Amino acid sequence: MKKNLNKLGENVDYILLMTVVVICFYGLLALYSSTRMSTAEGDSYFFVKRQILWMAIGFSFLMITLFIDYHQVEKYSTFVYLVAIVLLAMVIFSGSTTYGARRWLPIGPFEFQPSEFAKIALIIFLADFLNKNREKLDYFFYFLVPFAYTGLLILLVFKQPDLGTSLVYLAILIIMLFVVGVKIKFLSAIFLTSILSVPMLWFFLKEYQKRRIILFLNPNIDPLGGGYNVIQSRIAIGSGGLFGKGLFAGLQSQLHFLPAQHTDFIFSVVGEELGFMGTIFLLGLYAIILWRGIKIAKEAKDLLGTLLATGAVAFLLFHILVNIGMAMGILPATGLPLPFLSYGGTFMISNLVVIGILLNVEIHKVKW
Amino acid sequence: MRESSSVPEEVKFRLNHLWIFVIICFSALIIFLWYFQLIKGEELAQKAVENCIRSLVEDAPRGKIYDRNKELLVSNRPAVIVSVIPGEIENLEKLSNKLGELLEISPDQIRKQVEKYYVNPFKTVKIYDDCEIKKIIEIEENQDELKGVVLEIQPRRKYLYHDLAAHSLGYVGEINKEELQQMNSYNFQGGDIIGKSGLEKFYDAVLRGEKGGREVEVDALGREITTLLHRKSIPGKDIVLTIDSQLQQFGEGLLNSKKGCIIVSNANNGEILALISKPSFDPNLFVGGISSEDWKLLSNDPDYPLSNRSIQGIYSPGSTFKVITAIAALEEGIADANRKIYCPGYFKLGNQVFKCWKEGGHGNLDMIGAISHSCNVYFYTLGKDLGIEILNKYMKKFGFGEKVGIDLPAEALGTIPSAGWKQREFKEIWYPGDTINLSIGQGYLSLTPFQLHNVISAMAANGRIYRYHLVKEIISINGKSDKKIQRELFREIDISPNTYKTLKEGLRDTILKGTGWRTNIEGLEVSGKTGTAQNPQGETHAWFIGYAPQGESEICITVFVENGGEGSDTAAPIAKAMFEKYFNIEKN
Repeated sequence: MKKNLNKLGENVDYILLMTVVVICFYGLLALYSSTRMSTAEGDSYFFVKRQILWMAIGFSFLMITLFIDYHQVEKYSTFVYLVAIVLLAMVIFSGSTTYGARRWLPIGPFEFQPSEFAKIALIIFLADFLNKNREKLDYFFYFLVPFAYTGLLILLVFKQPDLGTSLVYLAILIIMLFVVGVKIKFLSAIFLTSILSVPMLWFFLKEYQKRRIILFLNPNIDPLGGGYNVIQSRIAIGSGGLFGKGLFAGLQSQLHFLPAQHTDFIFSVVGEELGFMGTIFLLGLYAIILWRGIKIAKEAKDLLGTLLATGAVAFLLFHILVNIGMAMGILPATGLPLPFLSYGGTFMISNLVVIGILLNVEIHKVKW
Repeated sequence: MRESSSVPEEVKFRLNHLWIFVIICFSALIIFLWYFQLIKGEELAQKAVENCIRSLVEDAPRGKIYDRNKELLVSNRPAVIVSVIPGEIENLEKLSNKLGELLEISPDQIRKQVEKYYVNPFKTVKIYDDCEIKKIIEIEENQDELKGVVLEIQPRRKYLYHDLAAHSLGYVGEINKEELQQMNSYNFQGGDIIGKSGLEKFYDAVLRGEKGGREVEVDALGREITTLLHRKSIPGKDIVLTIDSQLQQFGEGLLNSKKGCIIVSNANNGEILALISKPSFDPNLFVGGISSEDWKLLSNDPDYPLSNRSIQGIYSPGSTFKVITAIAALEEGIADANRKIYCPGYFKLGNQVFKCWKEGGHGNLDMIGAISHSCNVYFYTLGKDLGIEILNKYMKKFGFGEKVGIDLPAEALGTIPSAGWKQREFKEIWYPGDTINLSIGQGYLSLTPFQLHNVISAMAANGRIYRYHLVKEIISINGKSDKKIQRELFREIDISPNTYKTLKEGLRDTILKGTGWRTNIEGLEVSGKTGTAQNPQGETHAWFIGYAPQGESEICITVFVENGGEGSDTAAPIAKAMFEKYFNIEKN
């Protein structure tokens, strides 16, 4: 066992791990800046303390992940998938409501977001499924099967309703399908069909989801109502300039013009207070994580490892792109948080579990 | 150690494409960040500053208005305005129901108001103006159910005596779009309170003071964090009127339930001691915006309560005009004081017959007798000899058709007829009969009571008309006199002393022996002239113009009663009461 631990230590991707640690600290700084003025909880460190707790829990999960050989997923992937389905179903029937959406399940004093767990579950399930059925995917009918599995999850979160998370599931699926090597024309066919079905889908969208899309297309329709977030966020980011206004000195951030600035819009705080240098630095850190992630996927021992790593990369990539795009107002406000920066327990834990998956694939490329 | 990977080459190839995709996406993000932060950075930074710096206007309290004895007539009071901050409302439905119940207005109205005047989540929307104390207490008691409701305090104009001297004082109101354009000044902005009529308008610049303001940094909830800049408002200056509120009040009593006006001025300096116009209105109704019901009532009232009859009503002067005809005749050598004319009760011009008001006629009269008995035939004869052009010249000398120059806005000009004027207006020639009518103040001539007041002012002060004014003194904030309004010779009418002597004799006799007998006061030498103006719309208008005492005159009075009947019956007794009040003579 001791020997194993040493080997494990030798093979851990320290670049990835250190980057994650740095980005976590960077996130705590931004979080403190955006919440220190909030005296609602009577403690300017309230959010930071909680976030540190989530990080500690997340790193524990990460460590646990490392000790489980990823090949175990072959046995448990279906079980994990079913647990996700059950949990999502429970949210629909008994979850608590925030901002008009049911997304939470209470666990003791904390609230837990099953849709986050389902993201991990989907990565595991798809990795196993695609690994086992890679050859069959050349048949268009079989190619549609993973869509059905993913579609069930999407249906369940769409009911919550959570458009952003549905898109995360879809993105994970598409990227994993792409990497596993399905025919490009199949993907193109799916892409075209979905574009053509957008008008149909429109009828199923809730009013607020439609509004978000309309407001994304033109936030100035309602600058102080629905378009407010996007406009304020863009102002905050833009006003940062090259070097930013300095930490804790952002007018927008410190004066709470940004709604959800410690969760979905935390990137705006970085943009305003640390400027272009700050945002580029953050993008650099993300780029390193993605680079190491893809490297791990490529160098994995087997296809299962590659697919797990690909799912992890897809998860991070999609959140990063959509969240930053949303903060700048170039993508619709879908309410997706920013990995390692946005405040939130379940999300923080799932971020670190995803890193755990990457490290796991990395260390198991050699026998130990 | 390392085992050969079993990952298919195709998969590795696709992963390379994924990496390229990541690079492309990140490059796009960097380009957008570069655009927003470096290219548009400055512009957006400006927006960020505007976002959190609010300019709060601090209204300057308007100057107070006192009467000549420093009795307070107009001041300011605090008014409580109930507003909501849309951003702080948790449930508009619930809030408007509760607030509607407390304010006794429909919740629907509150909802509509919030939607209509919504500027941003943190800018207050006015719901209820000038809230009553009882309701304020109820709102404060229910504060926990009324999150987002705020009470703001604003200074409001208060007219202490309601309709007293309302036309002179005027009223204030919110500046409107046209006024904003007219003023064309950066000092004004929507929502500002300005003088809309009367002295409030004429002396607006003096009374208004200077708005102050604060630039405050606020957070997104509109809470003030720090004050960056504070410019104190400068209160408006106070003004002291020439009006004697006791005399004013007394005069208003005399005209109560009548339509008309009374002008009392100091003959030696143009100070207005009382200026009454009836019916009147309560300027308090306009404070904080007049309700549409009240506005309809006032503006559709057939008796025009908003109109200041003394400067805005135009009427025929009736027999008071005989003073002008007499002066013209004397000056032009048509007649001297001793010229006698026989009045048979009518006057023939061709086959037209013009009647004297006295059936059977006055018999033989000289000028003084003709003035005191107001004989029509005497003046018909003078008029016929004078002709319209000369009469026109004398009307102009007295300032008919021109502003009298009082410190009030919106004076009417009236009409002074001439042959050219009639040609332009009616495409008709001037008939000799028109002159006959004009010579006794009937026909085309129309003027404001104040223009007619010029005649009596000139009589009292031998041709000198001092500029009429309602404001005696402007007092600066520290209580010191800022400006005393000096008497100003506004118009001097060059007429020979003999003419004045004759006219004054005639006017004195009018009171002693003639039509003005109802104004005769023992112990006071009152002079004057009555008038009864034909009015095609109905009952005749009653006039009286007069001054007292005879030698060194002190005051001039014009009384006008719309549809008042005979001047000597209606207007003369009112003038008498005013003289008595002014000279403090006990009535028997």
